[in-house]
Amino acid sequence: MSNPIAIEANNLGRVYKIRNNRQEKFKELTALINVNLTVQKGELFGLLGPNGAGKTTLIKILTTLLSPSSGFATVAGFDVQKFPEEVRKRINMVSGGETSGYGLLTVRENLWMFAQFYGIESAEANKRIKILTEIVGLSDRLSTKSSDLSTGLRQKMNIVRGFLTDPEVLFLDEPTLGLDVEASRDVREFINRWMHDDENRTLLLTTHYMAEADELCDRVAIINQGKVLACDSPANLKKILQKDAIFHISLNAPYGISVDKFENIPGVKNCVLTQKPDEVFLDLILEDESILPEVISETGRQLLRLNRLEKKEPSLEDVFIKLVGQRIDEGENVND
Amino acid sequence: MLMIDRIKNKHSGFRLFLMTVFGRSYPRIVGMQREKSWLFFDVFIPFLSVAAYVFVYRAIGAPEDYIGFVVVGGGMTAFWLNILWSMSSQLYWEKEQGNLALYIISPASMMAILLGMALGGLFATLLRATAILVIGSLVFNVSYQLASFWQLLGIFMLSMLALYGLGMMSASIFLLLSREAWHISNLATEPVYLISGMYFPVKNLGFWGASIGSIIPLTLGLDAMRQSVFASGPSLGFLSVNLEITILILLSVIYIASAKFLLAYIEKIAVKEGRLTENRR
Amino acid sequence: MMRKSTILRSFISASWLGWKIESNWTDPFLFATYSIIKPLASATILVIMYSIIADAQFSNPMFAYLYLGNAFYQYVPAVLSGISWTIIEDREHYRTLKYIYIAPLKIPMYLFGRGVAKFLTGSFAVFITVLAGFLFLKVPFAINEVNWGLFFLSLFLGIIMLALLGLLLAGITLLTARHSYFIGDVLASGLFLFTGAIFPLEILPAWLRPIGYALPITYWLELIRRSLVGSVAKAFPTFSSLSNSTLLLILVATSLVSGILGYFVFRRCDYLARERGLIDIATNY
Repeated sequence: MSNPIAIEANNLGRVYKIRNNRQEKFKELTALINVNLTVQKGELFGLLGPNGAGKTTLIKILTTLLSPSSGFATVAGFDVQKFPEEVRKRINMVSGGETSGYGLLTVRENLWMFAQFYGIESAEANKRIKILTEIVGLSDRLSTKSSDLSTGLRQKMNIVRGFLTDPEVLFLDEPTLGLDVEASRDVREFINRWMHDDENRTLLLTTHYMAEADELCDRVAIINQGKVLACDSPANLKKILQKDAIFHISLNAPYGISVDKFENIPGVKNCVLTQKPDEVFLDLILEDESILPEVISETGRQLLRLNRLEKKEPSLEDVFIKLVGQRIDEGENVND
Repeated sequence: MLMIDRIKNKHSGFRLFLMTVFGRSYPRIVGMQREKSWLFFDVFIPFLSVAAYVFVYRAIGAPEDYIGFVVVGGGMTAFWLNILWSMSSQLYWEKEQGNLALYIISPASMMAILLGMALGGLFATLLRATAILVIGSLVFNVSYQLASFWQLLGIFMLSMLALYGLGMMSASIFLLLSREAWHISNLATEPVYLISGMYFPVKNLGFWGASIGSIIPLTLGLDAMRQSVFASGPSLGFLSVNLEITILILLSVIYIASAKFLLAYIEKIAVKEGRLTENRR
Repeated sequence: MMRKSTILRSFISASWLGWKIESNWTDPFLFATYSIIKPLASATILVIMYSIIADAQFSNPMFAYLYLGNAFYQYVPAVLSGISWTIIEDREHYRTLKYIYIAPLKIPMYLFGRGVAKFLTGSFAVFITVLAGFLFLKVPFAINEVNWGLFFLSLFLGIIMLALLGLLLAGITLLTARHSYFIGDVLASGLFLFTGAIFPLEILPAWLRPIGYALPITYWLELIRRSLVGSVAKAFPTFSSLSNSTLLLILVATSLVSGILGYFVFRRCDYLARERGLIDIATNY
């Protein structure tokens, strides 16, 4: 119990061998490259990255579902490869959008069944099912067959399943995927409460919702194409951009817009374009504010009409853009 | 404000094993309660198909004991099908629906999960076997000449032990498989009926044929059971009952031990190759 | 015009899909399993049963009767399962049934199309079983005595009849959970008893025979036997009073009845499945 480290990844790498059909030769696909991470006990740790960044692969390795191709990892003080049984006693996992459980069973029965696999007495399990489903707002559906639940409610059932067994280390892979705004908020509140109730609990969360990570996590790692690009608290990460000036510009572009020209202005560190039907937005990271006049002149040269210009406090999203060079929801990597 | 406190006591070891078996058999038992169409297809119709073989013997003028052979063989088929479809290839569906990953990351043993699936399906299986045996015996006037009830029960239990051991052993292979699993289970129906002498005394396959068939515990179990309950059984039997019992004991030990070893070993391979969670459609 | 092309498109695209999914011909293991090992194993069971009792007298008409009946009966599970299992596979494995439903397709034609692949595998199985009987077991089969016209006509009618029964099962499948068995295979194995496939109907108790007489499969198998080995069929009294054309007529009439039944059962189940919201259910248990 004295070990303060809940999760450790040491030079972790994973290469998949894939082929599309039997005739083809195997191709190698690198999902993780030399990942080093340490998560302290009691920490709520976030993994941020676009689809295919390697987040799920990392979680699979940490939950003993997949071996690393190189390096090693420990969870709750045990090597995931050498002592998977020890790790399994201490963890649980929830993946967003999964359809696990049995459709013909009710919510209560599904949850009870999983508690059995962790050696939890029925009385204890039922007590916790009651409490947990009340917290997430599922208690009135305990006798509903899980095949009759909506996507959001099924996801809530899954979340309860993960917390039900009281894991020391819990892995949540995109837990709010497919949930509406209100349900997501419920889940986030629940996660916070879970962590506050006991300081020995550790939670690793992957998400591609920046605000979620910003709100919940003590520390986040930004991961892209299998590599960890940065790892720190959200506040510290934002400090990377402290000297920079961040602007959000709304424009009309009746004759089109050339982003390259903005990117080529000396002092522009990053420029991301978002197109909406009736206006376009530019998110710019500048070395300092003195570059702004040059940017404004460029809008004139391109015959763009300036609607609004805001200076922004750096957000995690900006940090991500700076590190990865794209928005988190922009384009997907192939190696998922 | 509700507190989510820690769980003080989680069982492990044998207690966890039993809890898991019970937990996993529950959905099958309850599922059968909630959807009863299987009664018709899983109990009534198999009885008809066994009857078809009875009438073949009638059509070609076979001695009456052969009809008893078909009824007993038909009853035992149910257990083989239980292993193939409720245990081995069920793993494929569990993988598809994402449950397999949750089983693996839990501290529960895979053997317990498999046993749970099989036990859950065993109710239907027993019902099917009993229906075929009882109704078949009554309808076709099968006359039994029981030598020793305890011996019969012993042979039956031993066959089950070896059979479910073999089932778990083969289920481990299904951890690696995806849709192919389906085809393997399909492959293991008619050919197994053939080599295990489901509808005729296995002796008729010749010594080597019957010996190969004996790899499947059903073969010797069935042969020994027929020898114990039919007048003409001993003369049509493959080996002596005592020898068959000895071999069944050996098979039970070998299969259960191999199942434990193979499940652990193949899980390792599957983890290495990332095959536990893939959805190859 | 549009209607016609929808029907054709449903059938052709589904056949292509079924082919892609099964593609038994590109995989030797699957081909051997479904077209050689399984059919020959079940034929061998009967052969052994016969040879134990009848001292391996394979020239007896009874042997040819049961051998051919068993061989052609393989079409029954193949077509019934090929069509009805598609519902389970699309609903719970590929999870595409809902998309198929909202596409401008004719569902029955789509189901028929998906059955084509299994029909072809089944045809191989039938061919190989018959060939083995001819080569190794001396089933009295003389190519110049075969009534090919009758054979192909009966075969064609029989397949259509089975497809319509498959539709009926598909309808029932829409309302039932995924169990561990193929409804088509199970039903086929039950009907095996009543259709005179492996023994003449006279062997059955008199009160069970009417079921056989009501099933089109019974007449179909008799026609197949008559067209292939006329002398064997004559040795059994069941239908000896009926001419080929009468039998054909009965086959058409009973097929028509089961076809209409199949169509309406499917429509009814289809309606109920939508009403109960079962089109995209996952019934794992």
